[in-house]
Amino acid sequence: MMQSKLKSVPPKPTPGAQTGAEKPSVNRRPVLQVEGVDKVYANGTVALKGADMTVREGEFVSLLGPSGCGKSTLLRIMAGLGDVSAGQMRWWEQGYDVVGDTGRKLAFVFQNATLMPWARVRKNVRLPLDLDHSSRPDDVEKSIDEALSMVGLSQFQHAFPRELSGGMQMRASIARALTTQPNLLLMDEPFGALDEMTRNKLNDDVLALWQARNWTVVFVTHSVYEAVYLSNRVVVMAARPGRIVDEITIDQPYPRLPDFRVSTEFAGYCRQVSQALERASALGEEASI
Amino acid sequence: MKQPLIKSERFVQIAAPLGVGVLFLLFWEIMVIALDMPRYILPGPSAIGASLFADWPTLFRSLMITVQITLLAFAISVVLGVLISLVFIQSRWIEISLFPYAVLMQVTPVVAIAPLIIIWVDDTTWALTICAVIIAIFPVISNTTLGLRSVDPNLLSLFRMYRTSRWQELIRLRIPSALPYFFGGLRISSGLALIGAVVAEFVAGTGGARAGLAYLILQSGFTLRIPRMFAALLLIALTGIVLFALMVWLSDRVLRNWHESALKVEH
Ligand SMILES: Nc1ncnc2c1ncn2[C@@H]1O[C@H](COP(=O)(O)OP(=O)(O)O)[C@@H](O)[C@H]1O
Ligand SMILES: [Mg+2]
Repeated sequence: MMQSKLKSVPPKPTPGAQTGAEKPSVNRRPVLQVEGVDKVYANGTVALKGADMTVREGEFVSLLGPSGCGKSTLLRIMAGLGDVSAGQMRWWEQGYDVVGDTGRKLAFVFQNATLMPWARVRKNVRLPLDLDHSSRPDDVEKSIDEALSMVGLSQFQHAFPRELSGGMQMRASIARALTTQPNLLLMDEPFGALDEMTRNKLNDDVLALWQARNWTVVFVTHSVYEAVYLSNRVVVMAARPGRIVDEITIDQPYPRLPDFRVSTEFAGYCRQVSQALERASALGEEASI
Repeated sequence: MKQPLIKSERFVQIAAPLGVGVLFLLFWEIMVIALDMPRYILPGPSAIGASLFADWPTLFRSLMITVQITLLAFAISVVLGVLISLVFIQSRWIEISLFPYAVLMQVTPVVAIAPLIIIWVDDTTWALTICAVIIAIFPVISNTTLGLRSVDPNLLSLFRMYRTSRWQELIRLRIPSALPYFFGGLRISSGLALIGAVVAEFVAGTGGARAGLAYLILQSGFTLRIPRMFAALLLIALTGIVLFALMVWLSDRVLRNWHESALKVEH
C-alpha cells in the first residue's frame, strides 16, 4: 500500500519500532543492494564487516557514525570504486558494469570540492560530460547552464575555483554532479568543512533538488542534526570493525522547511539518533580495548 | 595610490641588492688602488670593464658558443626528461627498475665521465652537450614524475568513476597537475645545463674557433690576462641569471591561474 509522503499528521517517533511494511518506499525498486560486504584494506584494516543495506529508488538515506567506522569505504563501494573483499554489491539489481550505459547515472560529491584548480568553474562543471560521452545529454551547453543556475553560480562560471568561497566551491562541485542528470547521488560529508549557515542553506538546496529531480541519495555525515533533517532513513554505523548497527526511519513529511529544525519532532528524532550513535560508539570503544 | 618609493616593496627588492653591489664594487676598486694590487692577481672593476669592452668580439663569440650548448642541452633535457617521466608513470615496475640508474647518472660527477664522452663522441659540441644533459636532465625527470603522480586522489576517483581512458586521464588530469612541479624542475635544470656546459668544456679544453667561455677562462689564466678572465666569469653569471629569470617569468605566465598553494610549493 502506497502512502503519500506528504502526510499531514506526522506520527510520534517511536524508538526501535519500525516495521518496514508500512513504509512507502519499500515497494520501490532497489537501487543499491549491499549484501554481506566485507572490506579489508591491503594493510589489514577491516573497514567493513558484514555490511547489509538496501537503498530504494527515490530514498534519501544518511550514513552516520563516528569517524573511521567505514562510511567513506561503504560509499566508495557503492560508487564502484574499489573491490569488496567478500559479499556483493548490486546496482539496480545488476552488476556494476551496467551502470553508465543504460541511463543509470551516478554522481559523487566529495568532502572537499575536489575541483581542478587550473580550470574555470564552467570547465570544472562540464568535466563529467567531457569524460563520459555516453552520459552526454543532447544539449550539453544547456545542461551546464541549468546545473550552474540550479546552484546559483551562473555569474561565477568564468571564475577560477580559488576565487570562490568554500561554500561556492562546494556548490560548483554539486553542479558538476548535476550535469549528467544523475539518478543516484552519493555524497561523502559534503558540507562537513562549511560553517553552519552555509551548511543549512546547502542542505535546503539539496533537499529541494532531490524532490524536484526524484533522485536517490546516499549522504554520509557525522552530524546527527543534518542526518535527521535530510533523510528518510538514518543508517548508524560502528567502528572496529566497521559495520551497520542501527537504522532509524525519520517519518516526517517533505518539503522539510527550516521550521522543522526547531520542532519537537525534530528534537525527538535527534535524541533517538544520538542515543543510537552513542551505543554505536560504545561498541567501537569496547572493540578497541 | 602614490606612496613613497622607499616604501614600495618592489623598489626595495631591486634597490637594496643593487646598493650592496655598488658599495662592494667601490670597496673593491678602492682596495685595489690602495693596496697597489697587481692586475694579474686582482684587477679592479674598472679594469674588468675595460677588458669587457676591448675583448668584446672574442668574449661574445665564446659566449654564443656556451649559450648554444647550454640551450641545446636544456632543450634535450626537457624533452627527454619528460618522455622518461611519462614512461616511469606507466608502471611502478618500470620506475622501480630504472630510477636507480637515473640517480646513478646524477650522482656520478660529470667531470669523471666527460673524458670518456669526449673520446666517444667526435663532435665537440655534441660531446659537451651530452655532458650538460647528463647533469641537467635529472631535475626534469624527478620533478615531472613526482608531479604526474601527485594527483588529487579524489579527482582521480572521479575520473575512474567515469571510466576515463588512461590517455584522457593523462591529458586532462595528470599533465595539468604536474605543471607546477615541471616548472620547478625547469628552473633548476636551466641552471644545471649552464654549469654542465662550462664544466664539460673545462675538461674538454677545446680551443680554436669553437672555444666557449670556459676555455677562454682557462686560456686567460695561462696568459695571465686576469681582467678578461673576470669578464668571462661575469658573462657566465649573467647568462645564468638571465636563464633563471626567463624560467621564472615563463612559469609565472603559465601558472598564473593556478591555485596559490600550488605556486608556493615552488618558491
Ligand atoms: N586506503 C586505505 N588503506 C588502508 N586503510 C584505510 C584506507 N582507507 C580507509 N582506511 C581505514 O579504514 C577505516 C575506515 O575508513 P573510512 O571509510 O574512511 O571511515 P569514515 O569515512 O567513516 O571516517 C579507517 O580505520 C581507515 O583508517
Ligand atoms: Mg570519511
